[in-house]
Amino acid sequence: MSKRIIIVLLGLTILFLPVSLFAITAQEIVREMDAQATFETSYATGSIKTVDRFGTKESTFKAWSRGTTDSLIEFTSIAERGQKILRTKGSLYLFYPDAEELIRMQGAALRQSVLGSDLSYEDMTEEKTTLDDYDVTLDGSETVRGRDCHILILTAKTRQVAYPVQKIWVDKETFLTWKGEYATNHGRLLKKMEVLDTLVIDGRTLPKETRIEDAMKSNSATWMMLDTLEVNIPLESNLFTLENLTW
Amino acid sequence: MKFILQLAVKNLSRYKRRTIITAVAIAVGLMMYIIVDSILRGASLESMRNLRWYETASLRVYAEGYWEDRAFLPLENSIEDPASIMSLVEGEQGVATVRTTFAAEMILYSDDFGENGNMNVKVTAIDPTQDFEVYRFEDTLVEGRFLEPGEMDGLLLGSWFAEDIGAEVGYWVTLLTRGKGGFYEAFDMQIVGIVNCPNPNVNRTLIMMDIAAADTYLGMENSVTSIDILLPEKTDLELAKVAIQAKLPEGLEVFTWKDLAQDYLAIVGAKQGGTGMILFLVFIIAAVGVSNTMLMAMYERMRELGMMRALGMRDRDILLSFLFEAGGIGLIGSVVGIALGSLVNIYLVNTGFDFGFMFRNMDIGFRISSVMRGAWSLSTILKAFSAGIFLSMLVAVLPIRRALKLDIPTCLHHQ
Repeated sequence: MSKRIIIVLLGLTILFLPVSLFAITAQEIVREMDAQATFETSYATGSIKTVDRFGTKESTFKAWSRGTTDSLIEFTSIAERGQKILRTKGSLYLFYPDAEELIRMQGAALRQSVLGSDLSYEDMTEEKTTLDDYDVTLDGSETVRGRDCHILILTAKTRQVAYPVQKIWVDKETFLTWKGEYATNHGRLLKKMEVLDTLVIDGRTLPKETRIEDAMKSNSATWMMLDTLEVNIPLESNLFTLENLTW
Repeated sequence: MKFILQLAVKNLSRYKRRTIITAVAIAVGLMMYIIVDSILRGASLESMRNLRWYETASLRVYAEGYWEDRAFLPLENSIEDPASIMSLVEGEQGVATVRTTFAAEMILYSDDFGENGNMNVKVTAIDPTQDFEVYRFEDTLVEGRFLEPGEMDGLLLGSWFAEDIGAEVGYWVTLLTRGKGGFYEAFDMQIVGIVNCPNPNVNRTLIMMDIAAADTYLGMENSVTSIDILLPEKTDLELAKVAIQAKLPEGLEVFTWKDLAQDYLAIVGAKQGGTGMILFLVFIIAAVGVSNTMLMAMYERMRELGMMRALGMRDRDILLSFLFEAGGIGLIGSVVGIALGSLVNIYLVNTGFDFGFMFRNMDIGFRISSVMRGAWSLSTILKAFSAGIFLSMLVAVLPIRRALKLDIPTCLHHQ
């Protein structure tokens, strides 16, 4: 009798072994997703277009980044020319050339919108450690823009994150987040994100054009567009310093 | 000296028309001075009172670090276990209430408002059972009803704010905000009442909801952003602040209403210069009127002056006689001016002028939304009285001295 049970168990184990060996967990998807979006260094140029009830506004920028913590954005459009945003570990600074003023953003100030867009400074300071802040569950699959995607539900572990619940569609092959829905704890939809175009750099598929829509307001959306992107390039060592910001 | 005084009095009655005209000029000037001073003083006093009654209370307790970041209304710097703090505070003959103030985006919908829209607002969450003991909103309701304790979706608006956004009782809005810690939260609220209080700043911006609802939505876990304390009017607030601060545990700070309204008080301070200038101009106008009349009087009576000198009267006595005469005119003008100013002031203090039609669309820097009332000031009346006499004598000195420098024949032939 016991021999028969052992045989059955063995048979079941063999039957399901390939599935358990090759099935990817939600945590692994998120880890891979974060890894795909992080480079040793990068340099990009692009634009942010904001459409709301007051009209359309477009700002262009140059951006440098190093690892997950350091980044520098310099706006190049006429209205904001010379404005810079420097992010280093735990700190975010703004520099306004006209006022020759350096402002350290912290606490509640980080929740302000960047140039009136649907992005906040806080969105920019978020480091790519999704699993530290969220519990993740896999919620099936769906095709987005012709790509087979995992659907992940991210539920915040703490109150220190902006979006208590996130639903994201992650490409099964490239681990690009094609779509995201960001909601309150009670399931009220706040923002929607969708990647409209992609580019492939260093074998990784990255968003080239992203649309972020404020679900609470009608006719309010922000487009993030990358014109050029170079990765793993040498950057000056003092690029992410305050001295460089005001120079 | 007695003769000189008698001569001065005689001259006052001899030149009745001139005395009356000059005295009227002084009286009008002093009356204006008293009225302007009363209105400005009343506006300032009422503004301070409206600040305490509707915005700041007498004292406020914040958690450490809140004041530095107050522009962002940070929920992270909140007071834990406010109930225990309240019991400490209320021992100081005052009443206290808890409040949580937070920043939100108010989203309006076309169903109610005719078009979609949104705006940044400041929301004050109150305890409806305690708040009226500290703030005076109970008589300000103009439409709908007040908040009920524990009401999860009721909102109270200031009347001017409601008017500006086209809100009516029964309309729904959504508040999008960040809870304690930074998470987003959105909740639908229905406007249940509209209040109209004498503080224009409050009328323009007030949004109130129940504190228990705010606690749930914002994840405050029974913490609040402030404890507001009302103390009796005559209390020395600096002493009370020190006494309460000494009782509080570490990590809490007490602020007087003057600390809280320091921006407003700085503007008031800057305006004091302007106010002083207005009063100075009123005085200058009165002084110019008096000096002109005295000058005319002197030149009219040049021959009389020459005759008095020819008869052997000393220059010093002549100067004194004319000075007393000028002082007499000043005395009559001052008495009449103060009497008239006081009469007008009775109306100003008790009834005042309703400038609501003007204040609705402009900010004059005072916390008054409609009726501007005056205020009594004994020091102003005494100042006006003595200045009326002194200035009259002062402006008479120059023409008298000038006349006394002329020789007697020139005075006698003066046309």
